[in-house]
Amino acid sequence: MLLNISNIQHFSTGDGEGIRTTVFFKGCNLRCPWCHNPENLSAAPSVMRYKAIDKTETLGKKVEIEDILPELLEDKDFFLQSGGGVTLSGGEVMLQADDVAVLVKKLNEYGISVLIDTAGCVPYKEFEKLNSLIQGYLFDFKTGNAQNYKEIGGDLETVMQNLTRLISDGANVQVRIPLIPDFNTDEGSILEICERLKAIGIGEVELLPFHRLGSAKYEALGLDYQYKNYELLSEDKLDEIIKQYSKYFKVIIER
Amino acid sequence: MKLFEYLNNEICAETKGVYAPYYYRYLGYKQDIAAEPSTFRANGIYALFTETKPVIMKNEIIVGNKKPLFADVDKITLEYAEKIVQRFGERTFISNKDHYAPNYDHILTVGLPSLIDEIDNSLEIHGNDTRKCETLLAMKHTLCGFSQMIKNHVLAAQECKKDPAYNKERLDGIIKNCEAITEGKPQTFAQALQLVWFCHSAFLMEGRYAMALGRLDQYLYPFYQADIEKGITTDEQVVELLENVFIKLQDDIVNICIGGQNKNRECEINPLSYCILKAVGNCNVPGPNLSLRLTENTPDDFLDECLKTIGTGLGYPALMNDAVNIAALKKYGYAEEDIYNYSMVGCIENFITGMQPPWSDGRFDTPRYFDYIFNNGISETNGSIGLDTGDVENIGSMQEFMTVFEKQLIFGAAEYYATFNKDNSFINQAYYPEPFLSCFCYDCIGRGLDINNGGSKYPSVHGAAVMGIGTTADSLAAIEKVVFTDKRATLSDIKNALNCNFEGYEELHKELLAAPKYGNNDDFVDKYAVWFIDYLGALFENYKTRDGGGIYIAAAANTSNIYAGRSIGATPDGRKRGEPLSDAASPSYGKDVKGPTSTINSLSKPDYTKVACGSVVNQKYSPTMFNDQNRPKLQALIRTYFKKGGQEIQINATSREVLEKAMEEPEKYKNLVVRVSGFSAFYVTLDKSVQLDILNRTQKG
Repeated sequence: MLLNISNIQHFSTGDGEGIRTTVFFKGCNLRCPWCHNPENLSAAPSVMRYKAIDKTETLGKKVEIEDILPELLEDKDFFLQSGGGVTLSGGEVMLQADDVAVLVKKLNEYGISVLIDTAGCVPYKEFEKLNSLIQGYLFDFKTGNAQNYKEIGGDLETVMQNLTRLISDGANVQVRIPLIPDFNTDEGSILEICERLKAIGIGEVELLPFHRLGSAKYEALGLDYQYKNYELLSEDKLDEIIKQYSKYFKVIIER
Repeated sequence: MKLFEYLNNEICAETKGVYAPYYYRYLGYKQDIAAEPSTFRANGIYALFTETKPVIMKNEIIVGNKKPLFADVDKITLEYAEKIVQRFGERTFISNKDHYAPNYDHILTVGLPSLIDEIDNSLEIHGNDTRKCETLLAMKHTLCGFSQMIKNHVLAAQECKKDPAYNKERLDGIIKNCEAITEGKPQTFAQALQLVWFCHSAFLMEGRYAMALGRLDQYLYPFYQADIEKGITTDEQVVELLENVFIKLQDDIVNICIGGQNKNRECEINPLSYCILKAVGNCNVPGPNLSLRLTENTPDDFLDECLKTIGTGLGYPALMNDAVNIAALKKYGYAEEDIYNYSMVGCIENFITGMQPPWSDGRFDTPRYFDYIFNNGISETNGSIGLDTGDVENIGSMQEFMTVFEKQLIFGAAEYYATFNKDNSFINQAYYPEPFLSCFCYDCIGRGLDINNGGSKYPSVHGAAVMGIGTTADSLAAIEKVVFTDKRATLSDIKNALNCNFEGYEELHKELLAAPKYGNNDDFVDKYAVWFIDYLGALFENYKTRDGGGIYIAAAANTSNIYAGRSIGATPDGRKRGEPLSDAASPSYGKDVKGPTSTINSLSKPDYTKVACGSVVNQKYSPTMFNDQNRPKLQALIRTYFKKGGQEIQINATSREVLEKAMEEPEKYKNLVVRVSGFSAFYVTLDKSVQLDILNRTQKG
């Protein structure tokens, strides 16, 4: 019963309600070129060399639940005070659903609720292993276009089916849409996303504006970052995007 | 521009003449140069208050400032006056004279004339005690001078009416307020604030420093409430009045305490607390050192407003855990109602408002004792000698190391106390009275005794600021880990490495640096931080001040950790010679790497009810932590820290300036973490364009 993880981050504020501790899982079945956690793409350990601070670290280890449990329980007082808990992120957490289910059960025993951050490109049976155990999903929805989904290694139909079934099974799903320049931020792409999501009864979306804070990680990994020279979305552009989404959904965004 | 901004321009404008506080005091002294000490001192203060010519600025609605202290005096007179004044005794910082929170509650309740009557009554009671009568007459003389100073402002304001550049209506208001407070009790909020501000200005004229305003939102509240009920003022006007005062607090540390609770555990945040917070935020100057006594019952909404103010880059208010401070003060035998009325002076020091003599802190450089332990009692870096506890090689276990270290600290504390006590007693209290200050301390008038000579309800105390909790805990943990657990080196190796400042000992240096560090919720090292507070608290409990008060400990540093570090050799935590010690009660800089919750889990472990003076934890967060989504999380972090027994936290938003400096000198900012939308990264690892993205989102601090 081993979990393949890279890192545990305390006081995560962008991964759901309240103060959270986030566990990052290694290995992903998508290859989004804007990804801000490239160290979690490969399931194998990743060596990161930060020249600016003269630091080398190897991320990725297989751990027993007992090895990480004390650290996940450390912040329980903060969870209780803030309505937070543990978030499992990655990489793609759902690729390790069997082991993850054991971890989540254990955390529940200690009164800690768990959110899973997923891109959802896995067979629905994986979700079924977790639906009854977790507080909810942060479900990343990248595009409403089948071809574009294919380009990043995903499958729109799978995503749509999973989302639909999660909703009908009563799971708590927060849809999150990364706003990526040249990928899903033009009017047509947004319309496509909105209509797809509206059709299955989604009422609220969280928008995650593109940022380049992960760029240093690519350099540390010796990888090329395709989005290195992309500008941030301007405030005006963001306003415009929000406006478009707001026609369909309640929009959550941190600016 | 708002009124206080215009006033700020006037304040900053150059004043004619030379700064001559000694000169005015000398004018009083020389009237009777051989007078008995209280009379002599009172004469000086009387002259200071009455011979100075009030300056009324065009944008003042609350008058009183230090400009009258400038005089057109020749150099010889000025220098001679200074010489005489100093020769007749100036008590100094080290002799525990600074830091005071006056009993403003009383003068506001009874009014200035009645305060003078109280002295007359006491004179009757103590009529046959010559010393007491002299003391009381001296107090009365200073209050009469003070009253005259206010009356002189009336005359000055009338004079200003002739100048068309002044707003007549505003001058009429000033005249009315000044007249009212010399004739009786203050009747309005503006009059009450004016009276307090005159008192504070008078203290500044006396040359006092770090005078606190105390619980401003409590003692002014009845006036605020009455005005609001009568409909004669609005919150906007109250804020404007407060701004008019706060903008003058630029070159001093003036603590203002808000919030807290009464004996019944009822939270004392009121609408005036909000006005004060707003005015401090608007002025955005560093002088008003705002402290919030945060209780479990402080409304979330108020703490949220505080976080908004903090997030502007101001960094204030500092957040104090009321429950811990009260528990700490209870150990010193103060009456319960007096404890619940405590306030902060200087930076964070807990003061029994208006009931104890002024006091201040000294510095106890704990990590210095590693120098002695490793070098037979001699510190070359420090040029000092301590205790020779024998050759360090002979120490065979961690337990033994602790015993030896404790011996060093016992010697050090005794030396600290001896030095403090000598300075504190050097100037005989009976001969250096403070008649004006005594009028603002219970129960000097009733007892007919000076504040420094038994007049105050409680004895003087002192704060020994124990430096370097992080450096010390990390050093002890490194010794335990490297020498006694992993057996990777001997104490002799460490001694050599420290004396060479790690040159030639790079491998050992790495191992010492890799040992557990305070601030990461690791008991291996955190237990030494717990020990640090327990042990040093108990050590200083053995000592008393000249009049029997306690020697508190503080875990605060301001910037003293930098200066202290300069004269302390390399330490076993891997800190190099001369580098700063860990700051205040915080972990060593940049060594708490597991995130804010882990830092707080560690920081919650020491028992701060043993730190009666107060402690400081400085934490920096990215500006995005202060946005609408994140402030509740920050609030939960603070609430949890205080529930777990934390004592104080001062939060800063990482400023634009810091980010700019980090771009220029990345090697100094290796540990600077920035967070955007919940994603965090080491700032200096980011490439320039990304750094600029973040910089552009960050407001000027």
